[in-house]
Parts: sequence; structure tokens; C-alpha cells
Amino acid sequence: MSKETPVGERKGAKLAKRLHVPKFALNVILGLVAVFWLVPTISLLVISLRPESLFGQSGWWKVFTAPSQLTFHNYATIFSQGFATGGVLDSLVTSLEITIPVTILVALISSLAAYSLVFGFWRGRDMIFLVIVGLMVVPLQVALIPVVQFYRELGNLFGLNPYGTIPGVIIFHVAFGLPFGIFLMRNFLSGIPKDLLEAGRIEGAGEWKIFYRIVLPLALPAIASLAIFQFIWVWNDLLVALVFLGGNVHTPLTIFLYDQTRSLAANYWIVSTGAVVSIFVPLVVFFSFQRYFVRGVLAGAVK
Amino acid sequence: MSSVSLKELTKQYAGNGALSLDSVSLDVAHGEFICLVGPSGCGKTTALRMIAGLESVTSGEIEIGDRVVNDLAPRDRDIALVFQSYALYPHMTVFDNMSFGLKLRKVPKDEIKVAVTDAARILDLEQYLDRKPAQLSGGQRQRVALGRAIVRNPAAFLMDEPLSNLDAKLRVQTRAEIARLHHRLGATMIYVTHDQVEAMTMADRIAVINLGKLEQVGSPRELYDRPANQFVAGFIGSPSMNFVPMHVDSVDGGIRLVSGEGDLDITLDDNEMDMIRRAGVSDVVLGVRPEHIDHRERTGLGLQLRASVDVIEFLGNDEHVHLSSGSHELVAIVDARTPLTIGDSLTLSASSDAIHLFHPESGEALK
Amino acid sequence: MTSIAVEEPKVAAPRPSSGHGWFRRNWVSLAFLAPGVIWLLAIVVYPTIATIRFSLYNESATKFVGLHNFASVFSTDAILTAFKNNIVWVLIFPFFVTFIGLMVAVLTERIRWSTAFKTIIVMPIVFSTTASALVWRTIFDLDPHIGVVNAIEQTVSDWFSTPGAYPLNTAIGQTAATLASFNATGSTGGTIVSKSAIHPGGTVMMGLTRISSVTLQTLGATTPVAPQKMAGGISGLVWNDFSPSQTSNTTTIVSDEHGLPNLRLSLVSSTGSIVASTVTNSSGDFSFSHVAAGSYHVEIQASNFQNAFEGTFWLGSQSITPTNGLNQTAQSLLSVPLIDLAMIISYIWIWAGFAMVLIGAGLAALNREVLEAAEIDGATEWQKFRRVTIPMLAPVLTVVFVTMVINVLKVFDIILNMAPGSSQGPATTLALSIYNDGFTGGIHSGIASAIAVILFLLVVPIMLWNLKKIKG
Repeated sequence: MSKETPVGERKGAKLAKRLHVPKFALNVILGLVAVFWLVPTISLLVISLRPESLFGQSGWWKVFTAPSQLTFHNYATIFSQGFATGGVLDSLVTSLEITIPVTILVALISSLAAYSLVFGFWRGRDMIFLVIVGLMVVPLQVALIPVVQFYRELGNLFGLNPYGTIPGVIIFHVAFGLPFGIFLMRNFLSGIPKDLLEAGRIEGAGEWKIFYRIVLPLALPAIASLAIFQFIWVWNDLLVALVFLGGNVHTPLTIFLYDQTRSLAANYWIVSTGAVVSIFVPLVVFFSFQRYFVRGVLAGAVK
Repeated sequence: MSSVSLKELTKQYAGNGALSLDSVSLDVAHGEFICLVGPSGCGKTTALRMIAGLESVTSGEIEIGDRVVNDLAPRDRDIALVFQSYALYPHMTVFDNMSFGLKLRKVPKDEIKVAVTDAARILDLEQYLDRKPAQLSGGQRQRVALGRAIVRNPAAFLMDEPLSNLDAKLRVQTRAEIARLHHRLGATMIYVTHDQVEAMTMADRIAVINLGKLEQVGSPRELYDRPANQFVAGFIGSPSMNFVPMHVDSVDGGIRLVSGEGDLDITLDDNEMDMIRRAGVSDVVLGVRPEHIDHRERTGLGLQLRASVDVIEFLGNDEHVHLSSGSHELVAIVDARTPLTIGDSLTLSASSDAIHLFHPESGEALK
Repeated sequence: MTSIAVEEPKVAAPRPSSGHGWFRRNWVSLAFLAPGVIWLLAIVVYPTIATIRFSLYNESATKFVGLHNFASVFSTDAILTAFKNNIVWVLIFPFFVTFIGLMVAVLTERIRWSTAFKTIIVMPIVFSTTASALVWRTIFDLDPHIGVVNAIEQTVSDWFSTPGAYPLNTAIGQTAATLASFNATGSTGGTIVSKSAIHPGGTVMMGLTRISSVTLQTLGATTPVAPQKMAGGISGLVWNDFSPSQTSNTTTIVSDEHGLPNLRLSLVSSTGSIVASTVTNSSGDFSFSHVAAGSYHVEIQASNFQNAFEGTFWLGSQSITPTNGLNQTAQSLLSVPLIDLAMIISYIWIWAGFAMVLIGAGLAALNREVLEAAEIDGATEWQKFRRVTIPMLAPVLTVVFVTMVINVLKVFDIILNMAPGSSQGPATTLALSIYNDGFTGGIHSGIASAIAVILFLLVVPIMLWNLKKIKG
């Protein structure tokens, strides 16, 4: 660490002793914690890479002494199924079909609403914001039954019943993503100096143009955080999907996995492979946008 | 109270070639108030933190009293540190803030009470003892930080720019209070600041540090009258000393200094000529303080110059006049009643003892 | 002070709406807000009110029944169990997850690979609770060939007490004594001792019953041979005294019986001390040579009957709190099923990273100089931590704790996926009850809505308090 001269040697040793011995123990302890933390993920990966027949015969950890056990057979089987209904890939697509629209809609509507709440000029503006933020406390369980009914009404009135359809799930998820989204975006937008908008107005731009060309580009970091958080939240949701898509032909990955657990022993290779696939996507998102994710987590303390 | 001694103190941060402190040696006497001054980043705060034990020593020794403390943890050095940001414990009351150190040392409760109330009285904090830092003003918090130090009755007080977070008026007020405190406690105080006014007004001695090196240490008067080099000369005193590079001409067995354009006229006395001869230089930097230049003619020894007025800064009793003389720019302080306007041509002069001479390369004052 | 603060907008306060003009001026701004507001009204606000209404009506929502549904809720065992489980979760989970988050956040400050470490800990948040539940279900599986935990338990238990060659089946109440047949009797410490005393030069025969044929086959048991006398020693035979052809013969050796191999025997003197030990061979014969004069008994060591590892059924409803002798309702209220613990452990695995990130941010925001001041004041590392760091972190710790409480009140999918069918009932929670009562087998609004309202009433005040804390 520091350049020692004969004079300075003794204090270096003492200082080092204060830090080094505990430091070694610390590294060991934290190393063990890290290993413990990784075990579940690794176990899943290993199980999915071992032949089904070995499951129940020998523990997955035996693979470290017999690496030849590893095989991509399970994945091959799954992917050979292609996008056949009820397969992993089909569920993957369904998950995407739900998650991506929700994310886009929440980002867009939240930004619009936040813009209005920050730069708009009308009485009651701040009050409405507080009410919206307050809605974050509503647990979504409370809204399930009435919304199912509501959907049925829509079906009776317009012939379009969203229950059992993907749009039905999307609508529900967007609604419950909005309070948090508006909260996040409004916080961020209030840091944008109003002068920027004034400059735009002077140059003759209308509100929409100002929103679209000035504010939105500046808000990208916050939108990224929101998008990631929202994406992962919806991707991993089970309850809403079960309620609205429970008996459906095409189900998202969470329901797919849940169905498989009902017959766990028989279909372990599907379960583990499917689980790995379901984990893979958010993992990629997470690693690509780690910084934004952490920021979203910090703001997401409320959720 | 103890003396504090730094012997060849050096600090180098790992992976970084530059030394933040280069072989600084300093002896602080028992009960002395010494200021470490210098521009930002000069290493003064680093030195203070090394004395406190918050930074490690690369080489050199620190002695507090008779002990070499290099190996000791901060808590064993018997020092107290007043931080620039006060660093009060936000979750504790003023009383608890001040008594924390004593509590840790298992001092009995009644002794703690006495010590804290005493300090609180000195600092006029008695009515705030139950408040938390968040409920105090900046000045009050600063006093609590001081109180925390006083209560410990340390061998030496270390203060890291304690006034810089206060507004101007409060700063002047607190400056006097700290000086009074020093008098009252007779404590050894090592005070770090970048403000030379604070240093000049409060310190028994001042240590000027620049780029990790100790430039000069001495009483305020010494530093003012006999700066060791150009840096110290320019650092102490506001507005700072004027510097004019001049060329040495040998003439009639004597020495004349000429400026490029010839509008500065310097008549050196024998002493000064000897200094120049001893230095053996052909160029020299002339230094003269603005307050020593006045608006009248002089004959004989000293400096004479003709200049035109660029800017006049009115300060009530004085005027700071910015002048240009040929290609040189100078500042002079004259009586505010002097009738001057921008563009005027003046003749100004300074007496011989107001002249400082510096080596053109090393910046050292000629002796 | 946490780093999560709601900033006040730097825009000026809105001008009061002044009559007709302002609508025209601001319609765009309102139009921006409209989609969000309408969406929220339709899917969040109105349904919440509707649920409250449903909870006051009967199942088919035709008759107003007031608080009847709520009364049912509080008297249904299944739902009370759900309440209990929620309480268990709330008491255990938030504390431990915050604690672990704190420990980890503090310890990672000092190591070089902290970024990698933090990533590892945070990663599980990204997995769906469903996938995580599946993984942990495997880990806690009863079978040591599947579940890591039981595999480790087995290794440890085997190390301490190696299973004997003849493990007892405690499930049907077998003890060593029940195996004793001819010239054998159960004795202290799970041993079997010969009834007769033997002297050097003599022989002894001991018969045991109820040994499974599978065991005999595995051990390679052969036909027993009658022991021969041995001068100065003692020889004998231990055999399975059960002949399928002569079931009533329990005193002599029959040809289709088997000797009992690999039995560890001790020779016990009249004073009770063990003077020699040996092991029976494949025909069940053994011998002790050079025996001093005296009277002895042969003891079949208890370790032979050490039962095999049984495993812990982590995913089961076995209670870790004592509930014997309590009535049904009390039992369901006071028992803490093992699976709750298993699920809580896995949930901590998922969420500790979240706590760590938040607390880490709080730690980073701490004023370093205050800690240095504490050092100068004389605090040791531990004192600094306990008396300065933790109190300064109190706001963050509270936010984390409370957020986790809210999280746990709504816990749902981990139970659905981790608890095997038999444990679903004992492990259920309020959120799960809403789903089960409301949506399985058709949609029943009354009771499910009542539970939802109760959940709402539990969650809302806590969340509002939390929001206030974050704002301030």
C-alpha cells in the first residue's frame, strides 16, 4: 500500500494488523455466504442439464465429481417442440406478449401524466398527485373480483369481454403500474428546469411537441428505471395471470411453471428447464441495465 | 496541554506519484496557537488528519508531548478535532454529543455533567443542551463541535477550517471567540485555514504550505515583513504584493534595475546591491506591497514610477487603484480623498525598506 | 436521512383557475393526464369500492348481509390459519431480512470484490417467485438424493451415528427388545443380552426375530452353523430364529433359517465391564478366545440397530411449536408448520438483496466525518457501529423493515408453488385465501371480498406511514 522507509516500518505493521487478519476471515465468511446464495441458482441450472433419469437417484451436486452427466438434452427437447401450444417457448412468447405492451403503456401514460402534473397550470394539481400516489397502497387483490365482473359487463355491452384474453391482463397490469410509474416520473420531471419548456414555447412548439421532443428525451434515464422495474414485475407475476388467464390455452411462463409443479415428480425436466428459461430473460435485462435497476429498486421501496 | 512535533512528515497516496505532503517539519510549542495556511489542495488538511491519526503516515514522525504517536489509533492520541462540517451526531442531543467521548471512557456521570455544563457555559450553549443538531443554527452547531473538543481536555486541539461554513459576519465574530477561548484555556491549537486573514489575526505563528511543502513558518509579523519567498510574499496580505520582473544593470560600480520600458525607477541602497551581487543574478523580481505605494514624489532611494489609472475601487477610507505602468500592472492603496479618475497619469513612489527582492528562478528572497 | 426524497417541483405553484379561458389554455395538459386518471379510476378506484360493497353482500351479490361475511371469516378455521400464518411471516421475515441485509451491506464495504458479491445477492429478486419456489422446493425435498438440506443432514447424522446393519423401523414401534427371541432379552441402552451366563469353554446361542429378508439378503446371510466348543474361549451363534417352514420352532436351528452376519458383539463380565468384542460372520457364528475364568453374558451392541436417517420433512405441516393435547382450533392457531420456516428462508434468499441495496445506499450517504469524530472520541469499531452507525441508519432500516412487512402481508405465489398439496392448507395466507375462495371453482365474491377488505385495512395504514417516512 504505502512506500515504507525504515522509520515508517513499525507503524505500517500495526495498521496492517488492525485490518488484515479480520479481513481474511471476512473474505472467507462472505465467500461462504456468496456460495450459499448461488447454490439454488446453480442447482436449478445443473438439474436442467442432467438427464431426467438421474433425478431422485443421485443428488445434483454429484455432477461436480461426474461432469460427464451434463447434457443439453432437456433443452433440445424443449426447443424441438418449437412454439407448439403448451410448450415452454409458447409460454415465453405469451409472457413477452403481456410484458412488453404493459411496459410501454405504463412508461408512456406515466410520462404524460407526470408531465401534466409538473408543468400544468391548474388548481388541484398537487392534490391529484397525492391521491394517485396514495393509490400505490391498494393491494391488487382488492381489485380482482370487481374487474373480472367489469370485464363481463364490457362483454355484455360491447361484445368484447377481456376476461381470458391477453389484453385483459395487460389492462389490469397497466392500471396497477401507473401509481408507482407516475410517482417515479413526476419526481424526475420536477428536476427539469422550466426554462427549457419556455424556450420551446417561444420557438412556437405546441405542448405535444415539447413533451415529445424536449421532455421525453431528457427523461430517458427515469423511463429506463421504470421500464426495467415494471418489466420484471409483470414478467414474474403469477396471481393476475392465474385469475385472468387461468384456463387459457396460451399461458405465460409463470402459469406454465405452476402447472408443472402440480405434477412435480413426473415432469421435473420440464420444470427446471422452463424455470431456467423464465429466469433467463429478466436476468439479461437485469445485467444489461443494472444501474437503472438499482435506481428503480431504491425508488421502489414503496412498492 | 502538550507540544506537537512533526518531523519530516511525508504522505504519498498509493498509485499516485505526487506527494501530498513533502518532508514537513514543524514544532508547535506547548500552548501555542499555530495556523497552517495555504491554497486548496496544498496538504494542510492532510497534515492535520495525519496528526489526528485519520490518515496513515508514509514516512516521518509525529510527536505529541514526548510520545511518538505514529502507531497510535486516534482515540489514544489525546487530541480533539473540530471538523469543517462539524460532524455532530445527528441522533444525539447537544449534551450527549459533548459527553459521548467521556461516556466511552467510562467517566462517572457526575463528572461528565460538570464538564459538559462548564463547556456549555463558556460557549453560551446552556439553553440548547436538550436540542438535537438539526434544531440548531450553523453558528450554534459550530460551538457544539468546539464544546465536544473542550470537554475532552485534550493535549492539543485540531481545527479544520471551522469557520468556512459560516457567513461573513458570523465568521468575524467567531474568530474573536476562538481567540478568546485560546487565551482562556491556554491550549495548544493547530488551526487549518485557506484564509490568510484568519491566520494573521489569530495565530501566534503561521506555517505556510504550498503543494505539500512548508514554505515558511514564523510569526505574522515575520511573514509580513520578511517573507522567505515569492509565494509567501504573495499569499500573505491582501491585496497581494505587486511583482515586477527587472533586469540587473551594472553601472558606475553600482547596480541599477531597469524594467523593459524604463518607466520604473529604482534606486537601491548598499544592502540591496550587496544582496544582488551575492546572488549573482542578471535578473531579479521586485516586490512591493500596495499599501506601501503612495501618491507622491520621492527622491533618493526607493521606487519611483509613472503609471496610468485603470480601475479605482472605493472602499470608504481607502481606494484600491489598479494601475498600468508600461506593460506592468500594479495595485496601490491610496487615501480615498485623493482626487483620481480613470486615465489619469500619476507618479507614485515607495520607500527603500518597502522593497523586496526575489530570485527570478527559485523565488527565494534575496538575502 | 434516506436518499429517497420526494422533491418539490421547481415549478411555481399553479395559478388559480380563472374562469373560461383556462380550460382552453390548459386542455392539452389535462388531456395528457386523462388516460392515466381514467385508467386508474376504472381499474383501481372503482373496483376497490366495489369490493367493499361485495364484502357486505352474499356470495351471489344479491342480498345485503352486512358484516355477516366478516363474521364467517373470523370463524372459519382455514382463514384463521391464514391469519396465523401471516402473523408468523410478519414476526419472522422482516426482522431477519433486514438484519441480514444490514450485515451484508456493512461487511461488503471492506472487501475488494464487493460489486460481484452484491450482484450475487441481489440477483434472486429478478427471478419470479414461482421459479424460486420451485428451486427451494427441490432443496428442501425429503429425499436425500434430491434435497440438499436433507443430504447434508444425512451426512452429518451418519457421521455421528452410523446406521447399523439392522436398522429398526421406529415407524412401527420396533425397539431392540422386540427383536429378542431365543435366549435373548432387551437390556439397557438398546442392547440385547443373552439370558444365560456362559463360562469359558462353553457355547451360547441367541435368536432374534423380525429381521427383514431384504436385510438378510443384502448382508449375505447364510445357513447358521451350530457353535463348536472352544477351550479357554467362548463361541456362539446369533441367528434369525424364524423358519417359514416351522414357524413354531423357536429354540433350535432349522435349515431354512439364516445366521445374522455383521453383528457387533461384546463380552460382558459379571461385574458389567466389557472384556472383548467381535463381529459375527456370514453364518452368524462368532467366538471370543482367551477368556479368563468367570461368568459372562454376550451383548449385542445397540449400534447394530441404529436406525437409518429419516430426514426432515421441511415442506410439511409438522409444527415446531408444541401443540399436543390442544383442540382443533387452538392447534391451528398455535402451530407453526415447518414449511412456513422453509418458505421464509427461501423468501429471505430472494429479498435480502433488496434490503442490502437500500441499506447500502443509506450507509454510503452517511457522513464519514461523524464516524471519524466518533473514532477520535474514543469509540472502538463495535462502539462506532452500535452507537453511531446504527442510530444514523435508523430511518433506512425502518423503511426497509416496514416495506418488507407490507410485502409479506401479501405473500402468495411462493406458497402456491412451494407447498406440496398436503401442506397447502396449513400454510395458507390471506392473499392465497382470497384466490382460493374467490376464484377456484367459479367466482365467489362475498367471503373473498371480505378477506380482501381485511387485507386492505391491514396494509393501508402501514403503507401510508411508510410513504410519509419516505417523504420526510
